[in-house]
Parts: sequence; structure tokens; C-alpha cells
Amino acid sequence: MLHWLDANFVSLLNGVAVGMLLFTMAVGLSLIFGLMDVLNLAHGAVFMLGSYVAFELVDDGRGFLPAVLVAVVLGAALGVVMAFAVRPLVSRGPLDQALLTLGLAFVLSNLALAVWGTDFHSVRPPPWLDGSVELVGHTYPVYRLAIIVLGLVLAAAVYLVVERTRLGAVIRAAVVDRAMVSALGINVSLLLVGVFAAGVMLAAFGGVVGAPVLNVRPGLDSEVLILALLVVVIGGLGSLRGAFVGALLIGQVQALGVALLPEQSSFLLFGAMALILLARPSGLFGEVSR
Amino acid sequence: MSAGNGHGGTPQVPAAAAPPGPVGVGRRTLLRLAGAAGAALALPQLAAACGSSDGGGSGSGGASDELRVGLLLELSAVYAVNGQDMRSGFELYLSEHGGQLGGRKVNLTVEDIAGDPAVGVQKATKLLRQERVALASGIVTSSVALAVRDMFDTSKVPLIISNAGANSLTRDRKSRYLFRTSFSNWQPNYSMGQWVYDNVAKDGVYAVAPDYVAGHEQTDAFKEAYTKAGGKLAGEVHPPFATTQDYQPFLSQIRKANPKAVYAFFSGGEAVTFVKQYAEFGLKDSVPLVGPGFTVEGVLEAQGDAALGVRSGLHYTILLDNPTNQRFVAAYRQKFSKDPTVFSVQSYDAAQLIDLALKKTNGDTANQEAVAEALASVGEIDSPRGRFRLDATTHNPVQPFYLREVRKVGDRLGNVKIGDLGELADPG
Repeated sequence: MLHWLDANFVSLLNGVAVGMLLFTMAVGLSLIFGLMDVLNLAHGAVFMLGSYVAFELVDDGRGFLPAVLVAVVLGAALGVVMAFAVRPLVSRGPLDQALLTLGLAFVLSNLALAVWGTDFHSVRPPPWLDGSVELVGHTYPVYRLAIIVLGLVLAAAVYLVVERTRLGAVIRAAVVDRAMVSALGINVSLLLVGVFAAGVMLAAFGGVVGAPVLNVRPGLDSEVLILALLVVVIGGLGSLRGAFVGALLIGQVQALGVALLPEQSSFLLFGAMALILLARPSGLFGEVSR
Repeated sequence: MSAGNGHGGTPQVPAAAAPPGPVGVGRRTLLRLAGAAGAALALPQLAAACGSSDGGGSGSGGASDELRVGLLLELSAVYAVNGQDMRSGFELYLSEHGGQLGGRKVNLTVEDIAGDPAVGVQKATKLLRQERVALASGIVTSSVALAVRDMFDTSKVPLIISNAGANSLTRDRKSRYLFRTSFSNWQPNYSMGQWVYDNVAKDGVYAVAPDYVAGHEQTDAFKEAYTKAGGKLAGEVHPPFATTQDYQPFLSQIRKANPKAVYAFFSGGEAVTFVKQYAEFGLKDSVPLVGPGFTVEGVLEAQGDAALGVRSGLHYTILLDNPTNQRFVAAYRQKFSKDPTVFSVQSYDAAQLIDLALKKTNGDTANQEAVAEALASVGEIDSPRGRFRLDATTHNPVQPFYLREVRKVGDRLGNVKIGDLGELADPG
């Protein structure tokens, strides 16, 4: 057992890191879907935009913080615009809203292609997170350890805001009964714009954080969107706790699972999803119906 | 010129990835959503296939009217960066020769095939039926080349492949109308076998390449030459192609085998990720990394210092000191403000091959047999890679291969030629 643990230590640890990276990808998507019932298919494109911001502003690892700030502001602004764009379609149901975000995804990804072209870029982590360390005899990149910490902090922060603050309580109330909350004198539409902005902002933030690991390139948008959807579906649509557990699970499938069964690696990801959905059709933490 | 790259880099969400759960919105709604998303994603391709018909025109050519040439290129998806280089290489040759090939003004149609055989067939149909091109070139991925091969063969329109390396394209699937200015996957890898045995490790080499046809052909050719020299592989692994973001599990597996060297083929973005992670997970310092040149071609800047010391075999490096290459590199940098790659050279040479052949037919493309005949017999081509010729029966290049090492050149990284691996022809 101990030998097995030692042999697969890097894979296990990396599973956690990949899981946390997946969580930063999926949290914004889950937030918007859970609180507003809008499936934001432009999520991956915004993530990619965040990565390009990192590519532009980070020079040899310096300028990471400004990049984060710019991406966050840009993401929030984009989120506000998207919230207003989606609003007229609310009465027409989730399909039309999702299609609008899909259109936005096309616009954003082609914009990125026009501005940055087809080249691949890499972003160096901040100097104090660059390089690798020895952990019980195994080499492991420092930046991935930082992602683990960051993912945990992010999860805690989102959980606390949504579940433990007055603002969170109001948002959750607005999800259940908008008219009632509105009658209490709270500006619900402003509230929902804020939620949308926060979700899109998290996507842009994830783009900066993920850039040193995933690299900056065209096509990143669709890869991220698919993975984020996968995490959210496995976790249960709209459940933040589900997104967290789903991300950790997929992380282990991607790291440990692939290390143990390299020949089957293509099937593992969707195989795991199929198994989980067979057992729990609404995902790990999804409600059965509402 | 109707550029087909208008929809590059769009998200490709398979319908299967849409959420199937019944929470919040009904299952049926979500199914409809998935369907709609799928349909919407197909739309740009449809639009590209139906639109932009700039007049069918008379394709069959007397020597006086415009010469219609089509480029089938990956301008989106994994190999977009290579497709762009190939486009630039072709356009450079054209602009250096007054927009003419074989004395005729060229009307160039560029189509994005996105590395997808189905799209490739669609775009090839467009070039052959609608645009009525006299010749076509391009294609990064072998699967697309194999998918469109028959169309060009039966319509007798010469196709000059300027990258796709599937061995069969110049072996059992060769055609009188199929030419290649790039390489067969066998070539650069076979060229490395003996050298790795002599200079890196007599046994214990671990081979890794993505799990698709080209990936397997690359490692197989290396294995063939390496075992022929007397070497023995420590193992072999093939990560899924185009869907692997993290190579850690495979790197862990390689480490467990305790190899003396790793032979890796990757290209484009995958090469960036693999080489960087190879360093991050601590293998770079203990296990030498070797491979065919694609692993470190055109991506050095993104790979950074992680690529230092990687030794590879290829038919080109931008640092070759022959006069043709120096002129080529200078002109390319001036026109596109970036460095050429082996992909640019292969496409530049495709234009050159067409030019030389059509000069022999006095610009006439009406007699398709004669054009094919001329392409097969242009003789030596003075390429930035050095002089090479096409094999008369396979139509695959017989060309020199170079051993290169990634070193600091000034303040940048470059593939410095450190040896010759000899001239190599595909056995056919």
C-alpha cells in the first residue's frame, strides 16, 4: 500500500491540482446556472480572453497581479453587458438565452483569432511560483501547488458569500421567488446583473490563473467549456458543492485514472461521466426536480 | 481569394457534452438546447461551403488566362499555426514572382479544412467543382489528405501535399496526381534511429507520441531504425490526440520505466505542453529528450528554456547557412514579421514546384497528364532546406536530414545544426 502510494504520489497530488484548476474553470458557469438558470456557453471564450490578458501583461512572470486585476475588471464589465443582452430573452426561456451566449462565444473567439492570430503562447508563473520542488522524492511544479491553495480559497469564498452572508441569502431568495424579494424593496434585476457579472468575472479570472498550465492558444475556449460543462453536469447542474466535488473527481480520473490505465485514457473521462449519470441522473448533488 | 478562415477557433461543443440533467429546466428543453447548439456549430461550415462563390469561371487553362490554384489548409483547430505558416510560405513565393506561376497570373483560393476529413472533402469538392482549380496544395493532417486523395486522383488535378506525412500517401496510396514537398512520417524518424543508438543510449529508450496515425508512424519508424541498429525500447505510450491537456500521468508512467532517454513526437500546441511539462516534472534534468524535429519546430518561443538541449532530426532548421535559406528567411521575416518554420518552407517549395513544372509546359494546364508528368520530372529543387528532388515513382522528396539541438542563439532559442543524418528517400 505504502509502495503504491509512493509510486502514484505525483498522480494523486496532480489529481487534486487538476481538480482545483477544473473548479476555477467551472465555478462561474455553475454560479450563473444555479442562480439564474442561464447556461452561459460563452464561458470558455471569456476564460480564453482572460488567458490572452495574461499573455499580454505577464512578461517573464512579472505583472501577474495587474493581469489578474485587468482580467477581473474586463470580465465583470463583459458580464454586465451579457446580463443586459440576455435580459430581453428571459421570458423566452433558457434555450434562447443559451443560444445568445453561444453567439457571443463565436464573436469572442473570432475576435481573439483576429487580434492574436493562431500562434501558441505560454505564460510564465510569477518568479516565486516558478520552477519545481522536491516532495518526498518526487519533482512537482510549484505553480500547481499554488493552484491547489487558490482553488480551496476560491471555493471557501464563494461558499461563504452564497451561504453565509446577507447578500447570499437575498440572492438565493431571489432565485426562488423574484416577485417576493422585489416586494421587499430589493432591486432584483440589479442583483441578477451582479450575479452574472460575478460569474463571468470568475471565468476571466480562471483564464489568468490557468494560462501557465494550459497555455494560451486558439481552441482553448472550447476545451475549457467542455470540461466546465462536464464538471457541472457530474456535480449536478447549478450546485456549487457539486461543482467542487465533481472537479475533484474528474481531476483524479484525469490524473490517477490515466496513470493507471494509460491505454484507456480516451474513454476514462466520458466513461466516468456515464457511470455517475447512470447512478445519479441529476448529478452528484443535483436536485431531482424543482 | 475567398479565405475560408472566417470561423477559426470557434468552440466545438459536441452535443454529448451538453448537460443532460433535468434540474431547473426540463430534460426536453436541454435536449433541444443540445441539438440547437450542435446545429449552430455546424452553421459556419455550411455557410462557408455554400457562400463565397466568386464565379465558376473556366478552369481548363490555355496559357493566357488566370491560373486557378487552391490551398487546403488547417486555419483553425490544433494545427492552425502550421496552416498559417504554410499559407505564408506559399504567398511569399507568389509575391516574389509577381503573383505568377509558370508565367500565368495566379488566382488563389484558400480554404480552411480545420483538420477535419469531412470538412476537407467538402472543401476539396468546392475547389474541384466550383472553383475548377488546375492544381491544389496544402494539408497539414494526414487524415484529411487520405480523405481527399481519391477526389484528386479521379479528377486528375495534381495535389501537392505540403505537410501531411502519412507513409501510405507515397506508398500504396500513391497516385500519378499526388505529390509531396514535405516528408513521409518514416523519414525524419528513421534518420534518428542509428544516431540515437550510437550517441544517446544502446537500450532503454522510451517512445511517446499522440494516439493517431501520424503519431504511430513516427514512433514505428524510429523503432524500426533503432532496433535495426541493435537498440531495445524501454516502452511506448500514446496519449489521446488533441484532447490531452496534461501529460503528467504519462510522464509518471515514463518515469516508472526508468528510461535512459525519451523519444517524443508532438507538434504545435501539444509540443509546447509536452516539452514544458517534461521539464516541470523533473525529467529534463535526468533523461535526455530526443525526437523528430516537429517537437521543437515553430514553438520554441512558447516552450522557452524547457526546450534547451532537445536534439532532433529534421530536413530543415531556420539556422541553415546556405544562401537560398538566408535569402528566404530575410524575405519571410520582412513580409510577415515572424520567423519561417519547416512548414513555411514545404509550402514555399510547393509553389516553386508548380512554377518549375508549368514553365516546362509553357503555362499550359489543359493537358492534365502533361502537368503531372512535368511535376514528376522537374529535377533538383533549390530549396531553403538544401537541394532536393522528388522520387520519380513515389513523388516523395529525397532530401538531406539534419541533426539539430536547441541552444541559445543570442537572446533567443534556435535549432542549431550539429550534424548531418544523410540524404534519405522513403523506401516506398
